[in-house]
Amino acid sequence: MTDREQRDPRTGSESPETAAMLGSGTRTIGSSLVRMEGVSKEYVVGDEVVYALRDVDLSIQVGEYVAIMGPSGSGKSTLMNLIGCLDTPTRGVYQLAGRFVHELDEDELARVRNEEIGFVFQTFNLLPRATAAANVELPLVYGGMPPSERKVRTRHALSLVGLTDRAHHRPNQLSGGQRQRVAIARALVTDPSIILADEPTGNLDTTTGDEILAEFRRIHERGATVILVTHEEEVARHARRILRIRDGRIESDETV
Amino acid sequence: MPWKELTRLALSTLWGNRLRSFLTVLGTAVAVLSIVAVVSVLNGLDRFVSAQILTTGTDVFTLTKIGLTLDFESYLDALKRADLEPEDATFLRERLTLADAVVARQSTRASVSRQGRDAAGVPVWGVEAGYPEVGDFPLQLGRHLTATDLAGRSEVAVIGSHIAESFFPHEDPVGKSLRVAGHRFTVVGVLERRGGTQDDSKDDVVIMPLSAYRKRLVRRGSVEILVKASEPEWIADAKDEASLFLKIKRGKKPYEAADFDVLTDDQVYGIYAQATRLVYAALVGIVSLSLVVGGIVIMNIMLVSVTERTREIGIRKAIGARSGHIIAQFLVEAIVLSFSGGLAGVVLGALAAFLVERLSPVPASVQAWSVVVGLLLAASVGLFFGIYPARRAAQLAPIEALRYEG
Repeated sequence: MTDREQRDPRTGSESPETAAMLGSGTRTIGSSLVRMEGVSKEYVVGDEVVYALRDVDLSIQVGEYVAIMGPSGSGKSTLMNLIGCLDTPTRGVYQLAGRFVHELDEDELARVRNEEIGFVFQTFNLLPRATAAANVELPLVYGGMPPSERKVRTRHALSLVGLTDRAHHRPNQLSGGQRQRVAIARALVTDPSIILADEPTGNLDTTTGDEILAEFRRIHERGATVILVTHEEEVARHARRILRIRDGRIESDETV
Repeated sequence: MPWKELTRLALSTLWGNRLRSFLTVLGTAVAVLSIVAVVSVLNGLDRFVSAQILTTGTDVFTLTKIGLTLDFESYLDALKRADLEPEDATFLRERLTLADAVVARQSTRASVSRQGRDAAGVPVWGVEAGYPEVGDFPLQLGRHLTATDLAGRSEVAVIGSHIAESFFPHEDPVGKSLRVAGHRFTVVGVLERRGGTQDDSKDDVVIMPLSAYRKRLVRRGSVEILVKASEPEWIADAKDEASLFLKIKRGKKPYEAADFDVLTDDQVYGIYAQATRLVYAALVGIVSLSLVVGGIVIMNIMLVSVTERTREIGIRKAIGARSGHIIAQFLVEAIVLSFSGGLAGVVLGALAAFLVERLSPVPASVQAWSVVVGLLLAASVGLFFGIYPARRAAQLAPIEALRYEG
């Protein structure tokens, strides 16, 4: 099986102009927000080479809502790490929002993560000692934004997820759903190109999980590009496009 | 991130781990405590000794049987020398051309009592008339001792202001009597309070005619002869002249080695200063050692902290913290930690200085420079020993750090 069919970009649900208007970033050159060509990630274990990802070609447009699916060990986490610039490929080309990311060093990657990616994790990954507002504000701090502007942006992001009244609570004073909302606000606050969510409902009960998924839907409807990594079919079905990964390759790519 | 925020973050993190932070900074605190306490005590000692020694003028030198020596053998040799006698002073007084005043003095410590009040170990001097010329003895009340007092072996005394206050509260001591080593002496004069230091030691003195002193208190023993050069710049020549005549008086040839010593206050002070330098050297050793040990403890704890907070570091990196941000965070934390230790050391050192000042005659007082040096050193220790843990934190790979289960 080859990935050739996936090289051609799928038509996004919205035009780049709309996306730009909606504030998901105007940095895209050409059509693709995410463009991967022949991307591999390989590890050397003893004297054996293990492929976590093998020759992946992928293109994601501005405003898409993509689910990356696959069983554990399929390579979906690796793919997510690469898309999120947490890791670099061992081979291949990765262009994010027009920037060639595969050749960047650690600090440049950090800058790209700060500007282009909003992470939402399964375990929320909030700083336990910081308040909700402080957690949400943190990416702006690293982005070097002046404090007054940070406060405004933080308040706005918290209001988007309906947590204005929880701004000064610490994570341990919040429910699981609220914590994940704080994490979503933190992802939204920099107005990134991509919201990258890794099993965002994995630690939540079904009802709360549905609420969080509804949150992502709203984010997507406001024009943001959302990439959701999951192993659950029901979760993946919320997306408009589902990528299935197996053994380090994209097995199928379908628009729902 | 701005320093203010980093500092606040560091403080809240360290406060979250109060006990550990406290134990971590003990070494640094001890180092700074040592600096502040020892410097303040040495400074106090310095003033104490200066006050003790520098009561004579700079144009005054002293001929003495046993000079200052840090060498025990030369001290034993000096003990075998013949005593200096009041006649030696008289001999010199009649012959010296470069000196204005020659005064023999003998001193001891004795008990002083009056009407149920008593004090032991009070410095008592026997002096010859002319003593006001070889030292700084301004009178507050009454008169100085005179040649007549000397000749008559009068049992009279001039007392220091503190003795006056202690034994004659609310009354004029002049004309009243005081027992020195059991013998009755009449007070004829009271010295002004001397020096600006808080101790009373300079004002704790009873001065009496040498003749009466040798009659009542100490019959024998060597006197010291204080000589005031006519001009301060003649002091070297005056010393040569006095040495020469004293050798002649004691039956020595001019080219023979003197069997006495010539001291100036500078020399006395020099010996003291040398001793002080030794203490400072020891201080530097102790402080360096405790700073290094304290620094290693800080480094160790910061490394533990980095490991414990691997996930936090991962989160921060994921949302865009660059190496510089992480390094700054952990460095500031280490510096805040060691600086707090320094502050604790300053407080404890000041407390130690206060206790010394209260419980001893040494007017110890905290020196601003020692506080500044202590705090700077403390902060530098945090900076230096924080670099390695901070770099370790910054070098963590974000995905591995995020995956870390603490």
